[in-house]
Amino acid sequence: MLFRFVAVLLMAGLCLGVVHQSTAQNGCNLPLAGRITDHESRQGLAGATVIVQPGQQATQTDADGNFHFHVCPGAYQLEVRFIGYATERAEVRLSSATVRNFQLHPDAVTLRGATVRGERVEAPLPQASGSLTGQALQQTRGQALGEALQKLPGVAAIQTGPSVFKPMIHGLHSNRVAIMNNGVRQEGQQWGQEHGPEIDPFIASDLTVVKGAASVRYGTDAVGGVVLVQPKALRDSAGIGADVNLVGMSNNGLGAVSAAVDGNLRRLPALSWRLQGTLKQAGNTRTPDYRLDNTGFREHNFSAALGWRKDTYGVEAFYSQFNSRLGILSSAIVGNRADLEAAIARGRPAINPGFSYQINRPYQQLQHDLAKLTGFVKTGNGGRLTATVANQRDYRDEYDVIRASSDAGRRNLPQLSYQNYTTTADVVWEHPTLGNFRGSVGLSGTYQFNRYAGGTRQFIPFYTNRTAGAFVIERWQHERLLLEAGLRLDHRDLRTRRLTRGFEIDSSSYYGVERNRFQFWTPSASLGAVYDANVHLTLRADAALVQRAPAANERYSQGVHGGIYEEGYDISRPAGTPPLQPETSYNLGLTATLHDNPRLNGELTVYQNSIDGYIYQVIGAPITTIQGSFLPWRFQQTDAVFRGVDATLDYQLAANWLLNGKAAVIRARNRTLDDYLIYVPADRFELSVRRDWSGQKTARANQFFALVRGTAVRRQTRVPSAEYDPQPAPDGYGLLGAEVGATLRLGGTPVEVSLAGSNLLNERYRDYLNRFRYFADDMGRNVTLRLHIPLNFSPN
Amino acid sequence: MKTSLFRPFAALLLATPLFFASCNDDKDPEPEADNEFITTVRYTLRPTSGTGQAVTAEWKDVDGAGGNAPTISTITLAPNTTYTGTIEFLDETKTPADNITEEIREENDEHLVVYTLNPTSLMTITRTDKDGKGFDVGLTTTVQTNAAASGNLTIQLRHQPGTKDGTAGPGSDDANVTFPVVLR
Repeated sequence: MLFRFVAVLLMAGLCLGVVHQSTAQNGCNLPLAGRITDHESRQGLAGATVIVQPGQQATQTDADGNFHFHVCPGAYQLEVRFIGYATERAEVRLSSATVRNFQLHPDAVTLRGATVRGERVEAPLPQASGSLTGQALQQTRGQALGEALQKLPGVAAIQTGPSVFKPMIHGLHSNRVAIMNNGVRQEGQQWGQEHGPEIDPFIASDLTVVKGAASVRYGTDAVGGVVLVQPKALRDSAGIGADVNLVGMSNNGLGAVSAAVDGNLRRLPALSWRLQGTLKQAGNTRTPDYRLDNTGFREHNFSAALGWRKDTYGVEAFYSQFNSRLGILSSAIVGNRADLEAAIARGRPAINPGFSYQINRPYQQLQHDLAKLTGFVKTGNGGRLTATVANQRDYRDEYDVIRASSDAGRRNLPQLSYQNYTTTADVVWEHPTLGNFRGSVGLSGTYQFNRYAGGTRQFIPFYTNRTAGAFVIERWQHERLLLEAGLRLDHRDLRTRRLTRGFEIDSSSYYGVERNRFQFWTPSASLGAVYDANVHLTLRADAALVQRAPAANERYSQGVHGGIYEEGYDISRPAGTPPLQPETSYNLGLTATLHDNPRLNGELTVYQNSIDGYIYQVIGAPITTIQGSFLPWRFQQTDAVFRGVDATLDYQLAANWLLNGKAAVIRARNRTLDDYLIYVPADRFELSVRRDWSGQKTARANQFFALVRGTAVRRQTRVPSAEYDPQPAPDGYGLLGAEVGATLRLGGTPVEVSLAGSNLLNERYRDYLNRFRYFADDMGRNVTLRLHIPLNFSPN
Repeated sequence: MKTSLFRPFAALLLATPLFFASCNDDKDPEPEADNEFITTVRYTLRPTSGTGQAVTAEWKDVDGAGGNAPTISTITLAPNTTYTGTIEFLDETKTPADNITEEIREENDEHLVVYTLNPTSLMTITRTDKDGKGFDVGLTTTVQTNAAASGNLTIQLRHQPGTKDGTAGPGSDDANVTFPVVLR
């Protein structure tokens, strides 16, 4: 297998070599290539016919509108035909490799009486990115958002047990990854490693990760990258359709039902709607040797969308609610350092339960509401104006293990109860194309306040956060080169009100309120290029400078939360030192993409992100409390650098046999201490072989596939020597997975069925990035059955 | 033409957040009423014979984790004497102080007080109370001191809901404090 992989790499090199060679010599293999685009939208036209005369060579353009031939030197007549467009002809004289692009004009005669509607295709990004759509997304149904995203190379997850996954892009997470939920920045309770994003992944028809700084577009927090959760566009043709997903898992008894119904009225074609809902429940997870008590979770989510869309304007209203109750492995809640060390020495949880769906204390209860109103207007010479306002409410209650006879126990009160309210508003104006320039100017504002319920613990103080930002992004496109430059300036005004307890005067207690205000201007700038070196190779480069102002939790978190004592920078900083400062990231990324090749395709990304004033958490010197000695997780600031490589390669071994390899390697250094950084993903490799049997479309069962996947994660040996980790990094591991699936036609409905197995060898392992690695093993063998049923109620 | 189309639309959308934003509240944070907070461990020892004095030792940290250092008294006992010990857990952030001991006694089937001596030769501590299943609780004790010496006594309140088996192993510490001990 390894030999094959090397062979594939060698072939990749040879392919590139061949292109250069043919340019040098004048044989009958001169490349003649080009791209067919729509004259108005500049979108590539797939399936256009290109004919070369004399010789009668003909081809069709690929998905992006590209075509290519190999011909002898000489004079030729090129003809391009596409339904709905005027046929174009051109003379070309070839003596060397030639690129000839065509822009087709819509054919007025053919189009009379027809309405042509197009979805806007986002221009290519200079940053590396990855998407999960279609079958790849289907293969993650039932998983949490952060768990699903791990399929993309360069994306990992900071994990708390089997149910909480926080996405990590190129080694950065939490406050440095922006999550755009249907175009709105997700504002949740971002103050703990065990706070997963409050998003139902079933809502998405497309999960995209932009790797690398994208702060100019998405705001100052996107230092590490952006996760875009995009629902399906509202239905644009008359009728009613539905989509039903059913998922069942063997390991934790997970059952999930998710359904969406959407419609568009024949009488009111501008009006479309969609309703969507998900129910999900799981019980105790099983490791190879034992079950994990209290690790079940329950979710119920719904969303509704209503849109009114005309050619020149449109409005859309969207509402969603996410509800989740998550059990926390009770053995992972340790009272103090002695308990932690005892739990590590024990090597496995003290409680060995059977299977149960019951969720007891400790657990988290979450609710997230999002209401969004968005609209656009466009005119031929005025460009396009889009405005979005959104309101979000995020509730987080955490229930600790307490004495049932206490007041809080009797009334079943949470120990932590937080509410976060956020209003965001964005206005973006895309100016009309001026020569080779396209671009947009935008304004955005956020107003947010965070409170905790009276009588519960102050873990982070009350705060009010106002941010305002303005950005401009210009693109210049000519032939095969696209350049993009962006500038952004944000202002953050953070006001905190912290309750202090003082006993200086006498031993009786008194309370005070400490008010603070932090204001920062944080600029961002980016420069990127996309170059189509030839029809099969795209090169990207991007450089960015980003500043991010610290968040309230990084300053002021204090107290025990989920068995961990945490302390913000401004709580424990020595007297006389300045408060926490913004961090500055210098980000560089290079990506080469091989695409639309018959055999070999893939992508290679190398990056470096140098962050001055990087804010991170490490374990500090133990402190004494009445509960015993605690290891405090303290926020610190240092200079850091992250470097890494992501690679993915597809190789068509033979017809219907596809080999896929993925790799992600990252190296992170603490430049101040000249040491490694803690909690950086270990090297990760994946290899899979897939066999497809397409079969007859009309057959009872068709589109069979089977795949086998091996995943290898090395031991993280690059761990800091200067910082304390209660337990050394666990060993590396290898997991075997497999999946089979088919589409069954049941009464005209194509039902997609698949059966997937993960950790098939029931390997005992612990992942370095799982916070429960101190207490228990990771999940054992799991078999997942998935059904996807698309329904169409529209009359044909 | 284009500006006339954009202007009212933009103004409307820019104004919308103001309506949303008006629901601000300017309350100050309130003191927490954490029913599980323990600020003080009080160990009272009364001699069962002779004319010795009763001893009350306190381990007290009223401002919680961080802030001011805890105050810790030394347990000074007479050698070769028998005492009865009573332990109390208090929350003194409240006035009057909240006595958590009551809750612990009510739920004695999920609590265990563990006494650990260093060196063990200092004295012998025996728990004298039992829960409904016959397991020790440890809210009351008998203490038999040995010859004059000094050392440490660690007192742990183990919270073991559903897992109590008579040993210190299961559960987690609700309190874990260490007193210096002097026998003279």
